Amino acid sequence: MNCDWVRENITLYLYGELADDARHELEQHVARCQDCATELAEQRQFQTQMSALPVEEPSASFLAASRMRLQEALEQTSPHRAWYQKLAFDPAAWLRQVRFSPALAMAIFMVGFGGGLGAMYQSMRGRAVPPAQENVSEAAISGITSIEKDPTTNTVKVQVDRVTPDSVQGSVSDPKVQDLLLYAAKSNDNAGVRLNSVDALSSKTDDLKVRETLTYALRYDSNPGVRLHSLEGLSPFVKEDIRVRNAVLETLLNDSNLGVRSGALHALEPVKTDSSVRMALQQLAKEDPSEYIRTESKRLLASMPTVY
Amino acid sequence: MPAEAVAIALTVGPGLSLVGTPAGASAKSSTTPSERRGKAEQTQSRMNDAELIRESQRGNHAAFEELVHQYDGAVLRLAYHMTRSEQDAQDIYQEAFLKAYRNIGNFRFECSFYTWIYRIVTNLCLDHLRKRQVRKEDSGVITDSEGESFDMLDQVADVRSGASPEKDLMRRELGSRIAKALERLTPRERMVFEMKHYQGLKLRTIGEILNTTEETAKNTLFRGTQKLRAALKDAR
Repeated sequence: MNCDWVRENITLYLYGELADDARHELEQHVARCQDCATELAEQRQFQTQMSALPVEEPSASFLAASRMRLQEALEQTSPHRAWYQKLAFDPAAWLRQVRFSPALAMAIFMVGFGGGLGAMYQSMRGRAVPPAQENVSEAAISGITSIEKDPTTNTVKVQVDRVTPDSVQGSVSDPKVQDLLLYAAKSNDNAGVRLNSVDALSSKTDDLKVRETLTYALRYDSNPGVRLHSLEGLSPFVKEDIRVRNAVLETLLNDSNLGVRSGALHALEPVKTDSSVRMALQQLAKEDPSEYIRTESKRLLASMPTVY
Repeated sequence: MPAEAVAIALTVGPGLSLVGTPAGASAKSSTTPSERRGKAEQTQSRMNDAELIRESQRGNHAAFEELVHQYDGAVLRLAYHMTRSEQDAQDIYQEAFLKAYRNIGNFRFECSFYTWIYRIVTNLCLDHLRKRQVRKEDSGVITDSEGESFDMLDQVADVRSGASPEKDLMRRELGSRIAKALERLTPRERMVFEMKHYQGLKLRTIGEILNTTEETAKNTLFRGTQKLRAALKDAR
């Protein structure tokens, strides 16, 4: 073993990647050789130094947002199937082929029509009709068309499109209603429905799932009104929930809408002494393109006790 | 790919340990000091992987989601640390799992799902680094990486609020120098260094993930480390 070998393997030694015998020999050599001992100390220092760029755990809201986005994409994607799986009978694929075969299509239509007549005859003879399915599963929802809140009774009416439109009515605390509201807040095309949903959920922000959905809306909703209302719902939690604080801080720094940013700035007032908030305010006071944001940031900074 | 099956257990961050193994393997594993889940749970997770993959191959959507949830924290952390941008990290995360989903039918248990998903992710990260290098050469300026790294380091300062402002500032400056030094490595050197130093993977696993030998991974790590040390020599 010579110094060249030691120098080439010091990195592996420090990462615990040397074989036991090689590690022993290296340690023996370093104990005798001053140059190699210095090299080892420098390499060790280098490794410590590299941790100034730390590896951070993704925040729960970031992970949740990524999962939601992935889930949406997965629903529109189908996996490639292996050859042996292709041999298995797939009724859906079979039906897709049958669609183009008029004779078979006619036969299926006749069987269906006959079956339908039979079922109607049975029901007219007084057989019990099964009760309507109570739970509205997410997969069965094709859309949520409107949400109305009754301010006097604190009930919400959610108009749901399934195969046929349906509606569910109850308190915001009702898990069934809440699930629909969470769904509507995330995935509805209509900004008005998202807005109403966010509003209704704002009274239940002590629930973690609700807060997560509002945080998602604050970060990613395309409509500034929805973002603003989510912000209002989340504001009371900037102090106690670090994820909410991070989302609001991010909104303050990056949102495209000035109104939403101003809202975020005011929402952060109770936590202005937090070092990340303070740093953001200093940055905004110095170089934000909006004069209002600059002035307000300066005002908040000025009203803060000096910490240095 | 080596014929014998080896379970890979590694620390992927404070308090989280990930385990993956090929199906039916008589596996040996090494535990990490900061693992959150117990050993029994790890064994369970190893068994589950194979089952979940088979279920996913049969078209069970929920099984695939379960599989995603076992690995996505580590994937997102790696992508975020590599790109230092939430948007880019999320794009890599999304594409990696979509690719895995589309190709799960072709998964033959020749390697662990862990290695497989990491292989997909590292390929996407390498593509990302290559594109970023080309963009930088074109424009001649460092794009917004400086700003992004600053944001990330701000949060660090926040977590360690006990530290003095001067220390925070020095730490941020050093962090930004490190980020720049890392950007000057070749994409492959950067990837190997990231997986070894920051994510704590074994060189043997890194070799497998990058479809190369352990020896090549060692040499790449050595070259990368030398370049970084030279670039940061006066930064102490």
